[in-house]
Amino acid sequence: MMDQRWRPTVNEREFIEHALQSDLRVDGRRPFDFRKLKIAFGREDGSAEVELGETRVMGYVTAQLVQPYKDRPNEGTLAIFTEFSPMADPAFEPGRPGEAAIELRRVIDRGLRESRAVDMESLCVVAGKHVWSVRVDLHILDNGGNLIDAANITALAALCTFRRPECTVGGDDGQQVTVHDPEVRDPLPLAIHHLPIAVTFAYFGDGNIMVLDPTYKEEAVMGGRMTATINSNGDVCSIQKAGGEGVMSSVIMQCLRIASVKAADITSKIKTNVDEYTTAKALQKVKRTPVLVAKKNDVPDVTMESNDGALESQTSKTPNDAQDISKGDDDHRIKRISPLTRDRTVKPKQISMFLGGPSNWDPYSKGVSLSSLKKSLSCRLKACYIALFRSWYSYKLNISRTIKDPPAIPNVKRHEDAKSRLSESNPEVESTSNSGIAGESDEAKESVSPKSLKDAVKPKHKRKKKQHGKS
Amino acid sequence: MEKTEGRAEGRKANQLRKYACTRNPLGRAHGSARWEQGDTVVVAAVYGPRPGTRKGENPEKASIEVVWKPMTGQSGRQEKEYEMTLKRTLQSICLLTVHPNTTTSVVLQVMSDDGSLLPCAINASCAALAFAGIPLKHLAVAIGCGVLENGDVILDTSKAEEKQLKSFAHLVFPNSSKSVDLKESQQKDGQSERGLITSITHGVMSEEDYFNCIERGLAASSRISDFLRTTLQKHTPDYL
Repeated sequence: MMDQRWRPTVNEREFIEHALQSDLRVDGRRPFDFRKLKIAFGREDGSAEVELGETRVMGYVTAQLVQPYKDRPNEGTLAIFTEFSPMADPAFEPGRPGEAAIELRRVIDRGLRESRAVDMESLCVVAGKHVWSVRVDLHILDNGGNLIDAANITALAALCTFRRPECTVGGDDGQQVTVHDPEVRDPLPLAIHHLPIAVTFAYFGDGNIMVLDPTYKEEAVMGGRMTATINSNGDVCSIQKAGGEGVMSSVIMQCLRIASVKAADITSKIKTNVDEYTTAKALQKVKRTPVLVAKKNDVPDVTMESNDGALESQTSKTPNDAQDISKGDDDHRIKRISPLTRDRTVKPKQISMFLGGPSNWDPYSKGVSLSSLKKSLSCRLKACYIALFRSWYSYKLNISRTIKDPPAIPNVKRHEDAKSRLSESNPEVESTSNSGIAGESDEAKESVSPKSLKDAVKPKHKRKKKQHGKS
Repeated sequence: MEKTEGRAEGRKANQLRKYACTRNPLGRAHGSARWEQGDTVVVAAVYGPRPGTRKGENPEKASIEVVWKPMTGQSGRQEKEYEMTLKRTLQSICLLTVHPNTTTSVVLQVMSDDGSLLPCAINASCAALAFAGIPLKHLAVAIGCGVLENGDVILDTSKAEEKQLKSFAHLVFPNSSKSVDLKESQQKDGQSERGLITSITHGVMSEEDYFNCIERGLAASSRISDFLRTTLQKHTPDYL
């Protein structure tokens, strides 16, 4: 097939170079600014999607037990596989990887493996016989330039959220390995010592103009490129400068200094995102019985569950439900979401959906019967619900809790929504729970609510509004 | 997971998972779509039409090339089978004579797999073709149906269900027709328009069960095609 690589016209080339001489970049960035970084995680542990401006990469980590290398019998292995998918760029052909793909794989490999970012010895199960072999698959979805950096961040994010199954060694000879199902025993995270971040510089002109994080147009016009993999401690893990314009060593040193600053910045971003994700995931694990969530009974023949539509259409039971639900679907889902990641503001809502059951959080849809609620009040498993419920009441009773109060406030909004639909049984419920509050609420709240309420916390700007409104 | 009492998450037999379609998430591709059905997510990208056809293809028609990228590992036989199924399905919905001697490539990336992967992929690629502006006869709407032991049919099977089921089928229908011109007679929207485009079955099922699947699938496909229609209409540019 024909070579479909994008070639810049003379005008574009001159425009980019001219603008750079005045420290202006085509997309309006300053020379040492990274593009907007978004990290999202998939349903499974170890899958991450990263967007760096227009560049999109997806990473997926898997592990399996294999025999170790003969010269390293007590170390696991880490392998990186990169796929330059033809969907990313018309120039990418399916089949054998080209030079760029191989270079990318090697740079990330060196940065991760040779700098010992992931602890290999903890992956050993039985020395000489069984070790974990971790495989990272990176799929380039959209080539907007600077694939190395984006792919590196994806690999790190995926490795941070990956969980390998726990296994025990036993048997007669102490050699038999049993791998436990993730449902039976919680899978374990990898031991990651540090996060090596790749930072790419592009050189223009005579090697005196350099920019950070080039777009694909800048890459087509640049004179040379250098990638420095640095971690937040300032350790240089690898430097890759393969040909291109000659650059003075003072310029290289300056680049390294800039890179270490940027690396710290990106490291904190990755860590924040990973932490958010892990806390959300931990919350999901708190199991709920379906009793509290009353499911509608009469649904038309073929129905679709909608995400937010369920909350609104919960009480209506007509056969026209499906239509309503599909409308809800439309409004919330079909809007043009250009980033692959979900809206940050929608996230808390989505997660709270999962808390209760399949598609809705609101346990009061049908007016939960008093008896079942009483049963649930005494049951530890449902402590989260109770904690949320009580937090609302504790707030109402103005019980001062220094740390817990701010998270409690956003719940008021949701509770109010629920409250407007509460049936008559609930005033009674109020009294029972109030009396119950005094004693046990403290521990239940202390232990469980930090997780549950943190998850229910709306984004900061909304929280502030609530405080002003309520106080 | 109990089969008789209920499916995971309390889904009824005829209930589909929540689905969503994102238009053109990718910047470089000519058209792209991200289709989510519950936890199964597939991204499809379309490039084309590009000049020239591969060896062996008929140069008097446009040809479709499909590349399927699994989440992990090398492309194996399963991926080749998916590619072939998709290619044939998409060939039947595209107007191939509009751009002869060209190749349109459809690349699919599995982002996460929770059952009904092939139907999700077909929906995604059909949406991507529509967003890219490739001339189509009609849309293809795919649905996965499973047959329980007692003969009941469940729609939109998840991965856990597919493992347990004796047999399941992936069915592709053309979208439900709605005539734009009100004066057009109803005769044209006959039964023949709603025939089955593609059907891939796994496992053993009786004839009755299979026809049940088709019936249920047909009903479900009209829902999905309504959803597709509203998605496409919402983003029609002003000059159209």
